[in-house]
Amino acid sequence: MAGGMLTIARILRPQRPTRQKLIAYESGVDPVGGEWAQSQIRYYVFAVLFVLFDVEAVFIFPWATRLEVYGLFGLVEMAIFIFILVLGLFYAWRKGVLRWV
Amino acid sequence: MVAQNIAFGIISGIVVFSALRMVTTRNIVHSALFLVAVLAGLSGQYVLLAAEFVATTQVLVYIGAVMVLFLFGIMLTKAPIGKSMEMTGTQWPIAAGVALMLGAVILYSLIDQFGSDRLTEGGKIYRTADVGDEVFSTYIIPFEAISVLLLAALIGAIVLARKD
Amino acid sequence: MEALLAFTRPPLDWHALAPELTLLAVGTILTLVDIIWDEKSKQVMPTLAGVGLLAGLVPILTLALDGTDRAMFGGAYMVDDFALVMKALFLIVGYIIVLMSVDYIRDGDYYENEYYTLMLTSLLGMLMMASSRDLISVFVALELLSIPAYMMAAWRKGGRRSNEAGLKYYLMGVFASAIMLYGMSLIYGLTGSTSFSSIASAMALNDGVTAMSILGVLFVLIGFAFKVSAVPFHNWAPDTYEGAPTPVTAFLAVASKAAGMVALIQLVFVAFDNHEVIQPFFWLIAALTMTVGNLIALRQTNIVRLLAYSGIAQGGFMLVPFAVAGQASERALQAIVIYLIIYAFMNLGAFSVVLAVSRKTRSGELESFGGLFQYAPGLAVAMTIFLAALAGIPPAGGWFAKFGLFRALLDAGGAWAATLGVVVAINTVIAFAYYARVLGQMWFQPIHEGDERPIKLTSALGSALVIALVATMAFGILPGLVGHFGEVAVLSTLGR
Repeated sequence: MAGGMLTIARILRPQRPTRQKLIAYESGVDPVGGEWAQSQIRYYVFAVLFVLFDVEAVFIFPWATRLEVYGLFGLVEMAIFIFILVLGLFYAWRKGVLRWV
Repeated sequence: MVAQNIAFGIISGIVVFSALRMVTTRNIVHSALFLVAVLAGLSGQYVLLAAEFVATTQVLVYIGAVMVLFLFGIMLTKAPIGKSMEMTGTQWPIAAGVALMLGAVILYSLIDQFGSDRLTEGGKIYRTADVGDEVFSTYIIPFEAISVLLLAALIGAIVLARKD
Repeated sequence: MEALLAFTRPPLDWHALAPELTLLAVGTILTLVDIIWDEKSKQVMPTLAGVGLLAGLVPILTLALDGTDRAMFGGAYMVDDFALVMKALFLIVGYIIVLMSVDYIRDGDYYENEYYTLMLTSLLGMLMMASSRDLISVFVALELLSIPAYMMAAWRKGGRRSNEAGLKYYLMGVFASAIMLYGMSLIYGLTGSTSFSSIASAMALNDGVTAMSILGVLFVLIGFAFKVSAVPFHNWAPDTYEGAPTPVTAFLAVASKAAGMVALIQLVFVAFDNHEVIQPFFWLIAALTMTVGNLIALRQTNIVRLLAYSGIAQGGFMLVPFAVAGQASERALQAIVIYLIIYAFMNLGAFSVVLAVSRKTRSGELESFGGLFQYAPGLAVAMTIFLAALAGIPPAGGWFAKFGLFRALLDAGGAWAATLGVVVAINTVIAFAYYARVLGQMWFQPIHEGDERPIKLTSALGSALVIALVATMAFGILPGLVGHFGEVAVLSTLGR
């Protein structure tokens, strides 16, 4: 349905592109420079941190589904797991790579 | 079972098409997005196989985390967004040949081994809790090792990414 | 929703896990120290790491004295004599490499704290590899030992070559991992189990040879062939070895290769018993690796590259017994273990000398060894012993390793084993040619750039050199010493 309506609209609507219309919309300000800007390496650390804790989340799911059954044993194992990962977070913070400049 | 079969066919078609486009497209960002389609399709297949944990992991880790790294990598290396003619190397016919051959060998061995097997209904379904039981018993050492692995990867990545 | 089974807490044998836990604790302490004191802790890091590695040897000793095999998690994690011998080897090699690294890393002003943390992590992976008897454990152990190594190869951040080394090693490594993982999934699909013993019995039931079992086994073996840089999967090795910091090169050439061999031993001697596929594969790979490695080594003018290719060729020698794993399993396994142990010390020794000389000459070229005997006779004699060991000339240790190889081949008998024996013999001669070239440089050539200043050995590098030298000589004169470890390892792995 949705796809069909979009297709019909695309066929029916008038299309008269002009130079002015094709400029990327940046909240009313004309864009400066090319469409491509190299991102900085320091942001990469944030991406890596995200991956780290994403994987951690994946392992928390099976633990959470049977939290009571695993009891103290599961808690300790998970605590070790998270402790080691948190060390990484502290490390990143201490080395000053977490500053968003 | 019929509904599953149809869904399997449709998703397989999308996955194969996206995979082909991924290696043939001349725009590196499109290539990454086609990879998302492939991974999402596979996640759908896992759902059809009633493997809920694998499907979730696929979405969380691959489509979520790994794609972020991919796009970051593309942005960092300053590859121009848009068409580029160097995307396809000069040795692509050899690569295609090798890929086809490997595909044929794998396909043959899979059909040879499992071609006559039939999935029965009411087989054991492995839930997330079953995965948890395995992780917290047989595979507890690899599980803890993974946290060390991730920590080492982070520390190394920070060292290599630092400017000084 | 079906009723979930009750969960029983797996029994953990703390004594058996003590070596790994020690390393984990030391690694954590290193990270914590780094977090708290940052750059100020630089001075203590190598000491901490070294002490930690030696501390790991204590529980290994108590476990060895105790003598019982300890299986955990239904045999997925096994602490037997084979595992203990290998773990001790990894820890000692790690210790020597820490000694080799101290001055190199400090003088180069590279990141120090993280370097030792990553090295301990990698060694932890190797300890885990020695005990893993299960596909998942093996895979995680492999990644745990490889990922820090990828980054250590790129540790000289400023240098183009080091970056190239890290990137090449990383790309080829993950490619190999992917192939291996696919093979593992095929094997799991075929046998329904990840544990080695169950895989062996399931494969015996299906009488082994179907297209898929061949493919699965080959994929897994190829993955590890990358790791031990066997030809034709070796093309990352020379560039990585040359570009990486020299202590890291030694680490890759010795520890990382040994870890790959350990995994191959468990796979070939325990898990896969379709020897009609495995043996020809290893025959081919071993012959190729020896020949190609040696022939290319002949033409090298850079000493690190020469040692890299020599290391590839030595890896080929180690692969030889796998080709007779079916007929002469005991002798073959023993030969590999003995070769691994002796190779570790003689190669580390050679790298230590290279490090010592290049500290003065700032060059990796073969000419920089010119006239070494005239201004550093001790180093020249040490290098002569290590090269003689690598070439297999008694009384230095290497001859016993080669002897074990031939004994395994003789035990197996038959035309194939005999041909392989001839290939080994020819390659031993070729190898002698390029080792002799280095010797010629040291003893008979004029002094490099006429610079006669003596080489000052630092205490750390000197200790590394002495340990390697003593071990190499001891194994050569008292081969029973290392032979004993080989027998012990055979007993626990094959249960005979």
